[in-house]
Amino acid sequence: MTQALALEPSPDTITWRRVSRRLVVIEELQVLASTVVVVAANLAALLFIDNRLPLFVAAVAIAIGLVSAVLVARSVRTWRYAERDDDLLVRHGLFLRRLSIVPYARMQFVDVTAGPLERLFGLATVTMHTAAAASDARIPGLPSVEAARLRDRLSSLGDARSEGL
Amino acid sequence: MSIGEAVTSTSTAEAPDREITATAVEPRQRLHPVTPLLRGLHMLAIVIAVFSWQGYQELGPARWALGALAVLVAALTVAAVSWLTTGYQIHGRELRISEGLLWRRTRAIPLERLQAVDVVRPLLARLTGMAELRLEVIGAFRAEAPLAYLSLPVATRLREHLLSLAGGLDGLTPGQRPVERPVHSVRNGRVLLAQLLTPHTWFVPVGLVVALLPYQRQEVWNLVAVGSMLTAMVGVVQVPIRRIVDDWHFHILEDSAGLRLYHGLLSTRSQTVPRQRIQAVGVTWPLMWRPLGWLQVRMDVAGYGAHDRQAGMNAGVLLPVADRETAHPVLAEVLGAHLLAPPLTPAPTRARWLAPLRYRLLAVGHDRDLVYARDGWLIQRLVITPLARAQSVRVVQGPIQRLLRVADVHVDTAGRLHVVGEHRDVDEAYALAATLASAARAARAREMGAHHRSTSAPTTNTSPT
Repeated sequence: MTQALALEPSPDTITWRRVSRRLVVIEELQVLASTVVVVAANLAALLFIDNRLPLFVAAVAIAIGLVSAVLVARSVRTWRYAERDDDLLVRHGLFLRRLSIVPYARMQFVDVTAGPLERLFGLATVTMHTAAAASDARIPGLPSVEAARLRDRLSSLGDARSEGL
Repeated sequence: MSIGEAVTSTSTAEAPDREITATAVEPRQRLHPVTPLLRGLHMLAIVIAVFSWQGYQELGPARWALGALAVLVAALTVAAVSWLTTGYQIHGRELRISEGLLWRRTRAIPLERLQAVDVVRPLLARLTGMAELRLEVIGAFRAEAPLAYLSLPVATRLREHLLSLAGGLDGLTPGQRPVERPVHSVRNGRVLLAQLLTPHTWFVPVGLVVALLPYQRQEVWNLVAVGSMLTAMVGVVQVPIRRIVDDWHFHILEDSAGLRLYHGLLSTRSQTVPRQRIQAVGVTWPLMWRPLGWLQVRMDVAGYGAHDRQAGMNAGVLLPVADRETAHPVLAEVLGAHLLAPPLTPAPTRARWLAPLRYRLLAVGHDRDLVYARDGWLIQRLVITPLARAQSVRVVQGPIQRLLRVADVHVDTAGRLHVVGEHRDVDEAYALAATLASAARAARAREMGAHHRSTSAPTTNTSPT
């Protein structure tokens, strides 16, 4: 049971790290962008269609956008990761909560990806791939320096502890 | 696995050191000279099967025979050219297969990644004493490189050799046949009866009626009509017959390389699966077999049969049919699993809100080396995974699960079967995840230790001279 407590609410035994707060901005911008596209398309449609339906759709889109803006902000803040001696812990989720424990020994390769928006904010996503697709550990919103450090550490640990399958 | 040794030996093989290279590289070899003939006949059979009835109807016997002859000649030529340009070679710790006339292709298969080696003998090959060698490689999108055809002794010898290079055989000199020890054989009568009790078989009468209905008002019975009717019938009875034929004479042997499964009536297949490559084992109690208490055991070997539909149907079968008492020693032998009394703890009763039908069977548990998870309602299922094969441990909790204070625990493997402990009490789930993560680490460490001890003898012993 002590170990359970060690994993769930993150006390002294594990030092959970958070991802950058700038990730919230990126995610919010993505929500904003998709809302704007839908609203703009519907307003444009208003020019050709002679009823109020597009207005209604646009209103719904704005409402959804607002709700998801709130949820995204909260959801992004739930990303946590921790490097233990033998495994990487990643935890995330607002409604669907996930905790992954991936041993370094199982690592096949590490990916560092950064989309245009992420690059603008100096962030990157680190993904540790294993032989099972379900157990790939993905950590978004890491500052580039931290991402590079994590990649190097993961690959050195992975090499040192590699065991094949 | 001996990654460390593998890396060093490949790098020495690539190094300009003449002496080492000379011992590691074997001469390039060809497939058996009968190959083009068999391949050609095979291609002809396919072409005839595709064009058969319609073609025969339109062309008439003489021109049809002429066409078939032309196809045969073409097929033989193509097969002969491909035989001339195909070769295989063992190069250090790699098997290199080169093929192609216009687009030359050389595939290098690292032997550490070898999952299993099958000797397959299709009917035609069996009549001529030939065999086909199929290599299952991790990460490959389909069964890599079937070497077809080799004579049976060559195929068997090559298999031993590849497996010994892959580190499956411990300290065995090449050419020496490993001692095989019988583990289990399945009675043919059971296979037959078990197949009679499947939905596939029960569907056959219906299928036959549907297939034969169009011929009810056939007035003229010529060759074409009979032929197409036969084709329709074959399509219906194919699945159950094929299962019976595939599982005939099913027996499991064991040697130092791992498990060896032999089965098949017309085309025999012998599969060698290194024991550490088994990712998971799934035990199923089909509904119709339940009165007899019979079960079926499938094993999941990474990359095995996953992309080969024809082989996939049967590649993973460890026991086509067995009862609990006979399956228990086999599973104990293969994995050390305890089928009679698996260490399972049931899910809390409140799981019934999320799984009203299955909650009675939902259970998960583990011992020192294995994780077990039970699931199902009409069809009971038990999945067993060696902890040493676990890729990761995850806890997932959905919104409704949070209300009920339950969570799912997943143990992922590189195969398709995953152990999932559904709807566990949330505290228990996190505790279990932590325990499983450390137990998996311990299991890996034990396996590594055992492996290093057993392969402490230099690997050069097994490399050819």
